[in-house]
Amino acid sequence: MKSNVKFLWNRFTMREALLLGFCATFIVLTKVTLRMKLGISGHSLFFLMFFLMLARGIVPKTGAATLVGLLAGGISIALGLAHKGPLIMLNFILPALFVDFAGIFLPNLTSRYLTCVLIGGIAAASKGISGSLIELLAGAPMKIVLMKALFEGMGGVIFGMLGSLPVPAIIRKLQINRLIPNPNEK
Amino acid sequence: MRRRMTGSDYACQYRAIDSPIHRLPAGWKMLISTALSIWILMVREPQPLLLATAACFLYYFLARLNLSDLWRDTRFFLVQFFILQFLYLYQFGYPAGVWPGIRTSLQIVLFFIPGIVFLRTTQVSSMMKGLRKIVPYRILFLLFTSLRFVPFFAREMQEISLAQRLRGARLSPKQSRHLLFWHDVFSCIVLPMLVRAIKTADEAALSAQARGMGSRSERTYYDVRELEAYLASRQQTCTSTDRIGTENEDDLAGATIKGETFNK
Repeated sequence: MKSNVKFLWNRFTMREALLLGFCATFIVLTKVTLRMKLGISGHSLFFLMFFLMLARGIVPKTGAATLVGLLAGGISIALGLAHKGPLIMLNFILPALFVDFAGIFLPNLTSRYLTCVLIGGIAAASKGISGSLIELLAGAPMKIVLMKALFEGMGGVIFGMLGSLPVPAIIRKLQINRLIPNPNEK
Repeated sequence: MRRRMTGSDYACQYRAIDSPIHRLPAGWKMLISTALSIWILMVREPQPLLLATAACFLYYFLARLNLSDLWRDTRFFLVQFFILQFLYLYQFGYPAGVWPGIRTSLQIVLFFIPGIVFLRTTQVSSMMKGLRKIVPYRILFLLFTSLRFVPFFAREMQEISLAQRLRGARLSPKQSRHLLFWHDVFSCIVLPMLVRAIKTADEAALSAQARGMGSRSERTYYDVRELEAYLASRQQTCTSTDRIGTENEDDLAGATIKGETFNK
């Protein structure tokens, strides 16, 4: 028996909301357990973008990725994984907001490789916005802020794109096995 | 053990000690942190910056956090410091780029310190208590449920990983440079974990809905006093019913005895 009663924001059922909560749990878990000792800037974006895109694919509703970002930030703070203080929330929410925003215009965002990789890369780049904003407020010239964002963001964009790459295949597998509904199937 | 007594294990970890900052309510700490962070971003000249730096460190050390804690909390900014310094020197040249580079880097580190003090001195429970007034209870429910499932999924992940390794999946960290490692990570760990998550979400949602979760717009609690009063009245009713029941049983027993006597 699956209930269709809306639980959150008049949009998500409790099952969907819990599933998105578990995606947030996975973001934090992979950040902790599968931490890659690569020493390359932005490698944490690999699993962050993977689970954000996946959340948008599993629950194809606007706000799904944002909810995952919000919860992942909250869990990180609660578990003491926020090495930049409470502002770590923005690192999760900004890419998530971008994924949701892109999802409004591209309904098949997570079923096509090209859109998935492109949006994954752009959303990963948005993670640096909060840092750049703080630098601008601290009085750094725009040119230096942009150069630093480019320098630090490159790795993040590549990892974000790589993380988004397996999403369409996984969504398809879950749809074939009827674990998530297929919007094209009537 | 000694390490645990003298410092923390990782950055921004809550430290269970007594200090004036620890004793402050979470709302006040948030207010002080915000005010300090704004002040730090606004200063440009060396003297006000020195004053802001002193205030920031005073706030940090008033929380009885030591230098090793400070190193753990701020070491992440070292890379940023070097990048910024390099960019300033590249842009403005040797003597002109040094001070703006140091100033901006210092401001960025100091900007984060009040927030770090907040995390260091505030327990998650106090944070959540404060959040309860602002954040809708449904989001808090989701947050707590997700938190509750962190150890569950960590255990699941370990078990799945072990089972898949025994089946021959290439999941050793040494093989992480091979493309097949990533194929196996997604097909042997991520996919089963997702299936598990979908099933768990189904069960948890059904269980929560069966308990009436989400049926009302506001959060409902059981009142302990009301429950105790209800239980007491119920007990009284039960006792009186029992007494009536016992009397009836006595009558019945008597009747049986009489019956037996009669039968005999």
